[in-house]
Amino acid sequence: MKQMNGVILATVLGTTAIARAQPAPADPSPPGNSTGSAGDSAGNPAPTGSPAQPAGSTASDPGPLLGGQTDAPADPYAPKSHRREVDRKPINFPEVLTTPTGWLLPAGVLYSNNALDTGGGVTSDNRVGLGDVAEFGIATTDQVRERTTSQDKPEQIQPYVTASFRLGIDENRLFPGEPGVTLGFRKSFERNHHGQKTRIAELTLVASKHLGDRVALHAGGALWDASLQSNATVPGGQDPPQEITLHGHGLKNQVRVFGGFEARPLAKSEILIDLGWAPEFCYQCDTDKIRLRPELSWGVRYEVASFLHIESGVRVPDIGNSNLLDAQIFGQVTFTSFALKSAVESLK
Amino acid sequence: MHLRIVTLLAIAIALRSAAAEPQGPNATSKTPREATPDQAPGGTREATPPVTPPVAPDEPAERAHEAPPPVTPRATRDATLGSLFRRPFPSSRLFAMPLADVVGAYMLSLSGDGSLLQKPGALTSAGVLAVGFGDIAQLEYRHTEAIGLTGLNAPVPAVGVQLKLPIPEHSGIPAVGIAFRLGVPRSETLDGTTINETVTDLYLVGRLRFASVPWLTMHGGTRISSAKAVPGEALPAEQKTLWLPTAGYEVTMNPTAKIVGEIALAPQFQYAPATELGPAMLAIGHGVLGRLGMRWRVLPAIILDGSLGYQIEDAAPTAGFDAVVSWDIRLGAEVFVPWGALACRAAGVFCD
Repeated sequence: MKQMNGVILATVLGTTAIARAQPAPADPSPPGNSTGSAGDSAGNPAPTGSPAQPAGSTASDPGPLLGGQTDAPADPYAPKSHRREVDRKPINFPEVLTTPTGWLLPAGVLYSNNALDTGGGVTSDNRVGLGDVAEFGIATTDQVRERTTSQDKPEQIQPYVTASFRLGIDENRLFPGEPGVTLGFRKSFERNHHGQKTRIAELTLVASKHLGDRVALHAGGALWDASLQSNATVPGGQDPPQEITLHGHGLKNQVRVFGGFEARPLAKSEILIDLGWAPEFCYQCDTDKIRLRPELSWGVRYEVASFLHIESGVRVPDIGNSNLLDAQIFGQVTFTSFALKSAVESLK
Repeated sequence: MHLRIVTLLAIAIALRSAAAEPQGPNATSKTPREATPDQAPGGTREATPPVTPPVAPDEPAERAHEAPPPVTPRATRDATLGSLFRRPFPSSRLFAMPLADVVGAYMLSLSGDGSLLQKPGALTSAGVLAVGFGDIAQLEYRHTEAIGLTGLNAPVPAVGVQLKLPIPEHSGIPAVGIAFRLGVPRSETLDGTTINETVTDLYLVGRLRFASVPWLTMHGGTRISSAKAVPGEALPAEQKTLWLPTAGYEVTMNPTAKIVGEIALAPQFQYAPATELGPAMLAIGHGVLGRLGMRWRVLPAIILDGSLGYQIEDAAPTAGFDAVVSWDIRLGAEVFVPWGALACRAAGVFCD
C-alpha cells in the first residue's frame, strides 16, 4: 500500500511538473478588448455600451495537439478573414440626454440617436467619429421654440436642422485624472417658419470625468447666438426688416452654464440627469425677442445590446415657469456601429 | 572547476549580447525615412525629428506605437496596386494655408472643402490640384482665400508654382517655401453690378519643428497680395498691394490625426452701390480668417478635414468674436494619386 501511495504521489508530482513546464495558453481576447473587465487598458471605467466579445475565438484554435485548447478540428481550407480586428473600446456617449459631454466618439464609429416625445417632437442625431479627436454630426432638434406674443404658449419649430463639429481630448490623455474635454460648435441651417427667418448657433466647452466605475459628472459653458429676421415684403425704397441677433444684446445674454450627471447602479442601466438651455423666439414681443430657456431632463439608459441602447425619461422645457404640464415624456433609441471603422481598417 | 566557471561566464556574455539587440540586425539599418509618417517620398526630410503623439504617463508603452510608420515601397512594375497607395504622402497645406512642403515627385494631390452653413443656401467651396516635380516643386491650380463682396469667404482661383528651398533640415531650423500664384479673374455680381476680381500672390512660408517637442509643428509666413477689382460700370478699377501675415500649427494627437489651427489675413473686396447719400464705392481691404479643426489620415492616401471657422471683416466690425451665428463648419478631403508609380506599373515609365 505504501508502495502504491508512493507511485501515486510520484505520478502526481511528475504530472504537475510536466504541466508547469508547458507554456501558458494565449489569451484569446484581442488587446484592447474591454470585455470581461470594467475598463479599458488605460484604466478608464467602462461606462456604457461595452461592445460584445467577438465571436469565433475558437475558430483559430489549432487544437490540443498543436498547443491549443479545444478539440475542435481546424479547417486548413477555411476562408481567412481579410479584416483587421478593430479595437472596440467602450463608447462614451457624446450626449447625456440633451447636453453635450466631454467625450468623443472613437474614430470611424457611427452613432444615431432617434427620439419621440409626447409633445409631438421627432428628432434624429447622426454623428461620426473622426480620428479619435473630433466628430461631425447632422441632427434635427425640437428644442427651438417660437411664439407670436409673450402670452402665447411656445410651440416647437421642427424639423430644425443643425450641423455640429466637436474637437477634444480623451479622458486621462494628457495626465492621469484629466477629464475629457471637448470644444463643440453647433449651428443650424436657416429656417423659414411663420414668415420669419431664424438661425441658432452654440459654442460649448465641456469637461467630463468618471468618478469610479459607475458615476460620471459633466460640466460646461455655452456661448449661444441666434438671429431672427422677418420675411415680410416691404414697399419699394424701404430697407428690409433689421435682423435681430442674440449677440446684439450683450454677452451676458449669451453665456450659460450647463451640466449633467450619470450613475450606473446596474451593469446595463444608467440614470441620467442634465440641465441645458434652448433658444426661444418671440416674434412680436417688444423685448426679449430671443431668449434662452433652462431645460431639465432626467431618464434612464438601458443597454439592450452592444450596438443598441434605449433611453426614456422626462424633459421640462422651461423649468423657470414651473409648469409641469409642459413636461414631455420621451423615448429614444441609440445605435452605434463599428462598421465604418472595420471597413477603414480592412482597407489599410 | 575553472573550466566550468569560464563556460558559465561565456554563456552569460553571449546571452547579454543577444538581449542587447532586441530587433535583430536589421534594427540598426532603419533609415531616417522610416522615422516619420509624414516624410516626403523624395527623401527631403531625412533630418525631420520623428513625430510621436503625446502619451499619457500611465499609457502602456505599446499604445505609443500603435501604427508603425509605413515604409515607402519602390515604384516597380511588379508592385501591387495597394502597396502604391500605402506609402507616406506629405500634404502641402493646412486648411487654406500653404506649407513649406511640396507633395513630392510624380505625385498628384486633389483636395477640396466646402461649407453649407456660412451662407444659407450657398455652398462655398475651395480646392487645390497640385502636381509635384522633383521633390522641391509643385505646379498647382487652387482657390486662394479672399472675402467677396457679400462678406463671404469666397476663394478666388489661381494657378501657380511652389518651391521648397533645399535647405538641410535640423531641429529648430525652419524649412522654407516660396509660392507664386497668378490670379484668374472671378466675377461677382451685387445689386446688378458685376465686378471682376483678381488676386495674385507671392507667398513666403516657413515650417519649424523642435526635437524636444516632436508632436508640435509651427508654420508662419507672409502673403504679399496684389488684389484688383474691375467694375463693369463707370467706376474706376481699384488695385491694392497688401502684406498679409499668416500663421498655423499642428499638434499630432495620434499616428493618424492632428489638431490644426490657422489664422490669416485675406484680401476683402467691398462694394457699396450708389444711394441718395453718396456715389458708389469700391474698395479693397482685408479681413481675418481663422480655422480650428483636425486632419485625419483615414488611409495613407486620403485625409479628411473638419474645422470650424471664424471671420472678422473690417467692413462689418460690429460682428465680433461673440457672433458665433456667423461661424461655419467646413468639411474637406485630400486625395493623393501616385501617378508616377501607377504609370510605372502600367507601362514601365517613371519607375524608381
